[in-house]
Amino acid sequence: MYLRTGVADKELVVNTIPSDERRQKGPYVFIECYQEIPCDPCTKICPFGSILPMDDINDLPRTDYDTCTGCTICAAICPGLAIFIIDETYSETEGTVGIPYEFSPLPAKGDVVEAMNRAGEVICDATVLRVNPNKKRQSTPLVTLVVPKELIMEVRFFRLKKNAADALPEVDPYDEENLPDSTVICRCENVTLGEVRALIDEGYDNVDEIKRISRAGMGPCQGRTCRPLIMGEIRRKTGKEFDEIELGAFRPPTKPIQFEQLMGGEEDDN
Amino acid sequence: MKEVDIAIIGGGPAGLMAAEAAASSGANVVLLERDGHLGGQLVKQTHKFFGSEKQYASTRGIYIANILEDKLKEMPDKVEIWKGATAIGLYEDDVLAVEVGKEIKKLKAKRFIVATGASEKSLVFVNNELPGIYGAGAVQTLMNVNGVRPGQRVLMVGAGNIGLIVSYQLLQAGVEVAAIIDAAPTIGGYLVHASKIRRAGVPILTSHTVTRAYGKESVEGATLVALDEQWQPLPGTEKEVAVDVICISVGLSPLAELLWHAGCEMHYIPQLGGHVPIRDKNLKTNVDAVYIAGDITGIEEASSAMVEGRLAGLTASASIGFKHDDYEAEVLDCNEQLRSLRAGPVGEHINQGMALVTSGE
Amino acid sequence: MLRIEEHPILTFDKSKTVTFTFDGKEIEGYEGDTIASALHAAGVKVMGHHYDSGRPRGFYCAIGNCGACLMVVNGEPNIRVCVEPLVEGLVVETQSNKGDLV
Ligand SMILES: Cc1cc2nc3c(=O)[nH]c(=O)nc-3n(C[C@H](O)[C@H](O)[C@H](O)COP(=O)(O)OP(=O)(O)OC[C@H]3O[C@@H](n4cnc5c(N)ncnc54)[C@H](O)[C@@H]3O)c2cc1C
Ligand code: SF4
Ligand code: SF4
Ligand code: FES
Repeated sequence: MYLRTGVADKELVVNTIPSDERRQKGPYVFIECYQEIPCDPCTKICPFGSILPMDDINDLPRTDYDTCTGCTICAAICPGLAIFIIDETYSETEGTVGIPYEFSPLPAKGDVVEAMNRAGEVICDATVLRVNPNKKRQSTPLVTLVVPKELIMEVRFFRLKKNAADALPEVDPYDEENLPDSTVICRCENVTLGEVRALIDEGYDNVDEIKRISRAGMGPCQGRTCRPLIMGEIRRKTGKEFDEIELGAFRPPTKPIQFEQLMGGEEDDN
Repeated sequence: MKEVDIAIIGGGPAGLMAAEAAASSGANVVLLERDGHLGGQLVKQTHKFFGSEKQYASTRGIYIANILEDKLKEMPDKVEIWKGATAIGLYEDDVLAVEVGKEIKKLKAKRFIVATGASEKSLVFVNNELPGIYGAGAVQTLMNVNGVRPGQRVLMVGAGNIGLIVSYQLLQAGVEVAAIIDAAPTIGGYLVHASKIRRAGVPILTSHTVTRAYGKESVEGATLVALDEQWQPLPGTEKEVAVDVICISVGLSPLAELLWHAGCEMHYIPQLGGHVPIRDKNLKTNVDAVYIAGDITGIEEASSAMVEGRLAGLTASASIGFKHDDYEAEVLDCNEQLRSLRAGPVGEHINQGMALVTSGE
Repeated sequence: MLRIEEHPILTFDKSKTVTFTFDGKEIEGYEGDTIASALHAAGVKVMGHHYDSGRPRGFYCAIGNCGACLMVVNGEPNIRVCVEPLVEGLVVETQSNKGDLV
């Protein structure tokens, strides 16, 4: 599957996990490099010789977990961004994962980010414990996240949480600046935005008049869909605020009060 | 007419290394580069390279170009660099026609090392000429040289190393990658590259191709279809993705026009990416004055291009009496590096291809 | 806005602006741009229309190989704008014929 999807299979990963005893001793390197490619810098850089020499440059890297101190040097130079630093001794319930991260901006210590698995799915929130920007031009910044222990072999990437402002953008349902004239705004009577715009340009600036002339809102839905759209278009073209726009008479069976509620409800949602 | 011992055509990693090796063997060298700057493909590669220390592994491609150029600058009396100079014809009397600006200059040399690299292949589908459909190299140039994003949302066609790397670079530039698709059933590029894109949330769809682009004045989307084991479209699997850029990265083929001019014997070798010349172990073609190095010998990597450049620089110089002090050891080292770079499973098809066009094994 | 503002590895020098015109409109780019990159950054993807079919054309290879990006520059037709450096005051126009009728 790995060859088809780019997501390493469980068996591959499980095969190289160190002994339970070693895992209790502190940070260790975890190399996810499972394909024979001509590459060997990791074997040359470790100050403790913990990534064993290769007979051939195409060999897979092998780790001597007993001597590895988890110092992170190898993770910063691996061109495949395939080396992670794991520490399962952080707390009773949490461990840390050091992730090579070549994106801008870097998170800050203490930030809460969305942690992702090998397939890019968000699986939990994680707190940034350390950021080593590795300023030396060649190296890759390393970001260490605190994650629940059971996810220590799952979390391999993260993304920044959108700022509150970014996450909930002021979506103004009426302010679809770029809709073309051909956009149908009243499906019942097949009235287009272009027709409505033309009417506003001619000086019609209240919903009732526009409805009467265009027949928008006169169909089965009673204008529930198109009325807000017409209002938005009037606001955009005339600068009138919503409460200045005359809605005109609401014909039974739909009572005016229901429309007010609808409007109120939508505002809450924003 | 200017005369020189060795003319090197192409200032990518192969040409740069060839110039250094030839100059340090004692030959006078002119290095021609059609762009305004040296480095070839390297100048767009912001990622760290694979390979071994000797080929600058773990160094970002953009910096390798500088390192190599600086070495040449240390030998100004031996190496003359012509930038913005395009070789347009190589004639049998060992004369090269070079276009510099609007002028045509002639350059006579005892040996030529052709290191012109490769050009991108394209792909046929409906509306494939709409604005917004760009080659991977174009996307890289725009992004990494000019600092301009190609668009907002990209469909990448091709999951070889280039498709994977350019996708990653797009993410780094803040562009969304909708998906990477490839007609082959498996990912062609290195899996470590694939993994770092997957974990960032970009799907890789193998056994998929693009059948048409749509959009009025420029790309607004593409239609994808899944392929069966015989690479035939599976009816009913069509889906549309809304993208404003379709990036084509379906491989490179050697840029060998000058070799045809010079009368080199060329063969079509699919494993090497297209038409390539026959050569001997010293990278000499069947034309005595013409040597080759880099992607033009067969599409490979910058690591092997650099080693080939060095080898051709050494052997071409030696053939006209400029023998490097450590010639035998240097040549042996080059051959050993090439052997080991190609020893793994990914080098298999290269070796197969090379065996078909290399004499004197 | 298609200019890259923040990049984890690269920085782009945007200290010197260069002004040119495209079909009469004034556009700004930066020193170091090609005509094509400056147009693209300004949102211009269509660089002309095919002389025969009338279909829109944009650049493709960006290294001067394919000829998809021919435009009229300072009155001269058939300029490959993907490799033509941007210079102050250039007059760039779309080209919708083969270039010999201009
Ligand atoms: C996206 C991408 C990612 C890559 N990643 C890696 C990687 O991680 N590791 C790796 O080892 N390799 C990588 N490569 C491959 C590597 O860049 C190439 O194999 C290598 O650049 C080939 O070197 P070269 O010198 O043969 O050709 P090039 O680098 O293509 O250089 C050829 C030069 O010749 C010039 N030229 C062409 N024709 C003429 C002419 N007629 N007159 C004058 N000059 C001319 C060109 O302008 C160019 O500068 C990557 C390539 C790409 C596109
Ligand atoms: S983390 Fe440090 S000690 Fe462990 S393998 Fe990497 S470089 Fe060696
Ligand atoms: S440096 Fe990274 S990609 Fe290269 S062999 Fe080591 S782990 Fe694999
Ligand atoms: S885009 Fe290919 S020549 Fe300009």
